[in-house]
Amino acid sequence: MQTRSLRFWLPSVLAAVAVNASASELNPDVSVTLDGYYKQNETALSHRDQGFGLGHTELSLSSPIDDLFSGRLTAVFEEHHGETEVLVEEAYLQTNGLPLALSVRAGRFLSQVGYLNGRHLHEDDFVERPAAYRALLGSHYYDTGARVNMLLPAPFFWQLGAEAFSGDQMTEGDEDIGVYTVNTRFGGDISLSQSWQLGLSWLRNRHAKDADTGDGSHDHGHDHGDGHDHSHGAGYTGENLYIADLVWKWAPDGNTRQQQLTLSGEYLYADELNSFADSDDTHKGWYISGVYQFAPQWSAGLRYGEADLLEAHGDHFHGQTLEETDVMLSWSRSHFSTVRLQYTHQDATGFSNADNTVMVQYVMSLGAHGAHGF
Amino acid sequence: MVSEMIYRKGLLTILLVLAALPVQARLTVFTCEPEWAALVRELVPDAKVTTATSYLQDPHYIEARPSLIAAARRADLAVCTGASLEAGWLPMLLERAANPAIQRGRPGLFFAADHARLHAPHEHVDRSMGDVHPEGNPHVHLSPDELPEIAGALAERLGELAPESSADILGRYIRWRGHWNQLRAGWRDRAQDFQGQTVVVQHASFNYLLRWLGLGIAADLEPKPGLPPSARHLSQLLEKPELAGARAILIASHQDPQPAEWLAEHTGLPVLVVPGTVTGTAPTETLGGLITGILRQIELGESGATP
Repeated sequence: MQTRSLRFWLPSVLAAVAVNASASELNPDVSVTLDGYYKQNETALSHRDQGFGLGHTELSLSSPIDDLFSGRLTAVFEEHHGETEVLVEEAYLQTNGLPLALSVRAGRFLSQVGYLNGRHLHEDDFVERPAAYRALLGSHYYDTGARVNMLLPAPFFWQLGAEAFSGDQMTEGDEDIGVYTVNTRFGGDISLSQSWQLGLSWLRNRHAKDADTGDGSHDHGHDHGDGHDHSHGAGYTGENLYIADLVWKWAPDGNTRQQQLTLSGEYLYADELNSFADSDDTHKGWYISGVYQFAPQWSAGLRYGEADLLEAHGDHFHGQTLEETDVMLSWSRSHFSTVRLQYTHQDATGFSNADNTVMVQYVMSLGAHGAHGF
Repeated sequence: MVSEMIYRKGLLTILLVLAALPVQARLTVFTCEPEWAALVRELVPDAKVTTATSYLQDPHYIEARPSLIAAARRADLAVCTGASLEAGWLPMLLERAANPAIQRGRPGLFFAADHARLHAPHEHVDRSMGDVHPEGNPHVHLSPDELPEIAGALAERLGELAPESSADILGRYIRWRGHWNQLRAGWRDRAQDFQGQTVVVQHASFNYLLRWLGLGIAADLEPKPGLPPSARHLSQLLEKPELAGARAILIASHQDPQPAEWLAEHTGLPVLVVPGTVTGTAPTETLGGLITGILRQIELGESGATP
């Protein structure tokens, strides 16, 4: 009796296993990024609190939808002052079969302005984005909207792109299309060992004129820098934001596995800050970064950046400057694990919480192997 | 009147030239690794071929850099290894290039591994095992038995994309296949001397060929697939009794020779540095020439051999 039932039972289990195995092929790729850190001191314009903390913990699902569309959903878990937030950072569809090398992305996604903004935070070489990015783009600007890109039929790489966003993730406002961007990128190889990319971007923020300008009272001290709404938007905005970026990479014989040197720099400039601003009132920032992967598992990096900002106080502005130097050393056991030690030195005027700090960070990827760009 | 005639004739000529262009257009092919570029050139000698990597580069670790995006945008056909070898960069490249012809599921994207029987497929993998591909070992281009299968499928695909020259492509494939069979018979004879012998390797780059030749693997310099050789792992290897009987340490040109040299110093084994794929210069510019070259290196067993 028992053997008979087993005989009936076994094939059905095997069949179920077989169905399971083939069904998993249809499941989306799942990847999780764990980002944790210890930070010795509070720093200006930072999105990471002092002490032990979780950074940008991501859960991402992606998959082809059919032969024309693919999609991605990325949820981010962030902790600030003991409160956990779940943010939808990406929820988009992407076309992959349009003629004329056109591609469309729609939904929520990272804007492609600048070099760093379109990249995921876990791909970064330093614990935090440069000060200019933290101030003017909220580290990484993502929003709900649509993008059209075209790769031009040139003998070198030349891309044109335009995006339209609701704009509410940058500055809350009434316009249906609060932000639009135009972007172009060029790039190529200089030799087998060297390659480069140049990008020019313009971001028009139609909500900037409605930005909260403060009440004009001079209760300085508690709110500067850190009080700006973390990751939901930029603390410093203007109607126009212009970004120029340049990246140069070198690897002997192009073999990035063994060694690679990456030099990158960006310049950000924002004007027409709000209705009280005159033409001399601008935000400016830049950084230059060098990262040398000197062995397959080791990288060392140095970055210097400045941000010259104007903080709105009702009908006038207060100037703020932040100069930041970062030194980092990182070790990756495999392609999926990185442990980083970083020292950050800040020199500031107008920021009460500027300080020097040591940080230890880990970034670990679980699951699907994400493909990385240049 | 005359000028109008000339004008009309000129216009007609331009139109004819334009109309003839698509037919005259050479097939533009993007390959992820140079071995597939070499194979495409055998089958369609006048194709415009760009290759994303060279024998001096580790194909697992390539960036989707601007020049590659531009090249992929122009391609009628992309030929890659597949089996997750290019998982770290090809999906990004295809997305950025936005070329409808070479997207997944279209005839313009050819994965060699789809047409070969791969060694060591895994039912279950996790990353603690290292960078193990569930589909099997993707370094299949040096397999004397699987390569003709791939070449046959590639010839068929090229014929579909360029129907007007499909007969020529088939003809070239048959000639290539005959030549390959001849070479393979020669390798088979030379492999007699290797039976029961072993070599030390770094990564599974040459495993298909070694297995076909009857050469066993005494040890792997990588502690886990994809991890660089560590000092601790190397000193553990020294204690392996299998090492004493090995013929040589075989590594690829794109790999750091230091770990192999360290082991060579401590064991007296010769280090053979051979190209992991075709090099673009004779005699290793074709896969047949490359395998013959690797065989010769193993036979000679000389240290410090140049690629």
